[in-house]
Amino acid sequence: MKAKQPVIINQQPGWRRALHQMWADKVLYLLLLPTLIYFILFRLWPIWNLRMAFYNYRARGPWEWVGLKWFKMIFDSSAFGDILWNTLVISFMKYVLLFPFFVIFALMLNEIRSTRFRKYVQVVSYLPHLLSWVVIAGIWMALLNPSTGAVNQLMGFFGMEPVDFMTDKGAIRWVLFFSEGWRSLGWDSIVYFTAILAISPDLYEAAAIDGANRLQIIKSIILPALVVPMTTMFILNLGFFMSAGFDQVFNFTNPAVNSVIDILDTYIYRLGLENGQYSLSCAVALIKGLVGVVLVLLTHVASKKATGKGVW
Amino acid sequence: MKQPKRKYKISLSQIVLMLIMFLFTLSIVIPMLNMLARSLSDPKVSGSMMGLEIIPKDLNFINYQVIASNPVIVPSLFNSIFITVVGTALNMLLTITAAYVMTRPKLLGKRVLMVFFIIMMLFDPGLVPEYFVVKDLGLMGSQWAVILSMAVNVYYLVIMMRYFEAVPTSLFEAATIDGAGHIRMLFSVAAPLCKPGIATLTMFYGVIRWNEYLRSGVYISSLSKSPLQVVLRKFVVDGDVTTLIGTQNLLNYNELAQIDYTALQYAVMIVAIIPILLIYPLVLKYYTKDIMAGGVKE
Repeated sequence: MKAKQPVIINQQPGWRRALHQMWADKVLYLLLLPTLIYFILFRLWPIWNLRMAFYNYRARGPWEWVGLKWFKMIFDSSAFGDILWNTLVISFMKYVLLFPFFVIFALMLNEIRSTRFRKYVQVVSYLPHLLSWVVIAGIWMALLNPSTGAVNQLMGFFGMEPVDFMTDKGAIRWVLFFSEGWRSLGWDSIVYFTAILAISPDLYEAAAIDGANRLQIIKSIILPALVVPMTTMFILNLGFFMSAGFDQVFNFTNPAVNSVIDILDTYIYRLGLENGQYSLSCAVALIKGLVGVVLVLLTHVASKKATGKGVW
Repeated sequence: MKQPKRKYKISLSQIVLMLIMFLFTLSIVIPMLNMLARSLSDPKVSGSMMGLEIIPKDLNFINYQVIASNPVIVPSLFNSIFITVVGTALNMLLTITAAYVMTRPKLLGKRVLMVFFIIMMLFDPGLVPEYFVVKDLGLMGSQWAVILSMAVNVYYLVIMMRYFEAVPTSLFEAATIDGAGHIRMLFSVAAPLCKPGIATLTMFYGVIRWNEYLRSGVYISSLSKSPLQVVLRKFVVDGDVTTLIGTQNLLNYNELAQIDYTALQYAVMIVAIIPILLIYPLVLKYYTKDIMAGGVKE
């Protein structure tokens, strides 16, 4: 037995004070409770369910522990390599190749002198971002239709043969590229346009006094102001590299071209929710999820180093 | 000397620039007007309409009449409205209360909670493990599976927190002295001051809810409970006509044999776009107002 503790008046131990404080704030915790329950049920519980990747899932009876069987199967199969390659190629096209065009779009928008015309461009170009991928897929199927679509109609004016882009293996990745640009060129350039508008008018005045032309102004005043948002956005994009945009591929794909645009997320969906290979699907999802987290953490560190601002 | 506000000449570079931008906007406007035109044309001629035609031929509302009397599309519209309204309300209720709590300066355990939220945001387990949660909760087949499984978006939670952080602390202190509790403080001090933020997030959540098709397709098996986007996907992406019209109706109605199904697809897409167009002026007003204000440039 320990000796009697000396009683210190008016100084409760830390944990008691903490409890006291928490009790005083009980309304706050109560307000947070529904959100907490949501995260536990629909975020944490699914992560716990991923353990299926190490078992053989059975609808009835206990699951059978199989260790790394599914992972071996994944890395031995040629399908996984192809799908990973598709994912990386499509991500590269969407997040690296398309990237400069958002900046160029913002620069061009800024160069338009007529306020009314600029507003018109903004109103039209921001809209596609709000449409669902189902609708966008429908619009693009119509646009690229080999017999009635506008693109083939235009090509016909130049005497070109019609092409069925949606079922053409060589063209479909570019269809994804252009439809992504079509959807997000306006919206995703907002961040750069905002940065351009934030540039102090004094800088422009000083440049005007120095007799700088527009190109010189863009080069020495506007582009430097875009370095920080560009770095942030580029790094954020790297975090999406394992995803490559499920919704777009899911709605644009068809049997003729699926082999070249089948990505990790569509593979996970097909394995789990169409073929019922839950364990295998969870194993792929686990690999994808972990690599995704590593990518985001790396980009977070890189972003902090480059711009002093993290991803969150 | 160059004057900052002198009248500009329309130079060649301006014309080229405006032409490029104009062509880009046409790539958005023409396909949508073409869809509208073809959906409003007589089925006898609409099938041969080309993609660049934007004026209806022999104005005809048959496609919209088919939609209005369709046993699949009409209920799906009501399902979409229900999921969007109830879902967005739940989104906002949880996002506002959680953001308020997470921005209280003296809250114990705030950092632990924030780290928890960020981890939950970073690690994406995919839809399969969530499917089993929905199954174990007995929500399979119910619209509530969709409503509840998308109840909070961490990115929007963080945005809402930024808005609450901008409210001056002196206002909260004054309210505390007046004897206001947290609930009154939230709804009569913090929320009214963050109206633009609340409006923006309500719109974004609303758009996400209206456009949602994936979870609805997986969790709600019965087409009679499915939202419009699921029906639209079946019809447009999968090209499934019989589900939409119903085999019985297809045989019963002579007129339906003459329907241009592509034009009908476009009509359904127009119906799916209309609510977005209705909310779009608000998005422009609240989200892009600052960057759309004219005369920013000197």
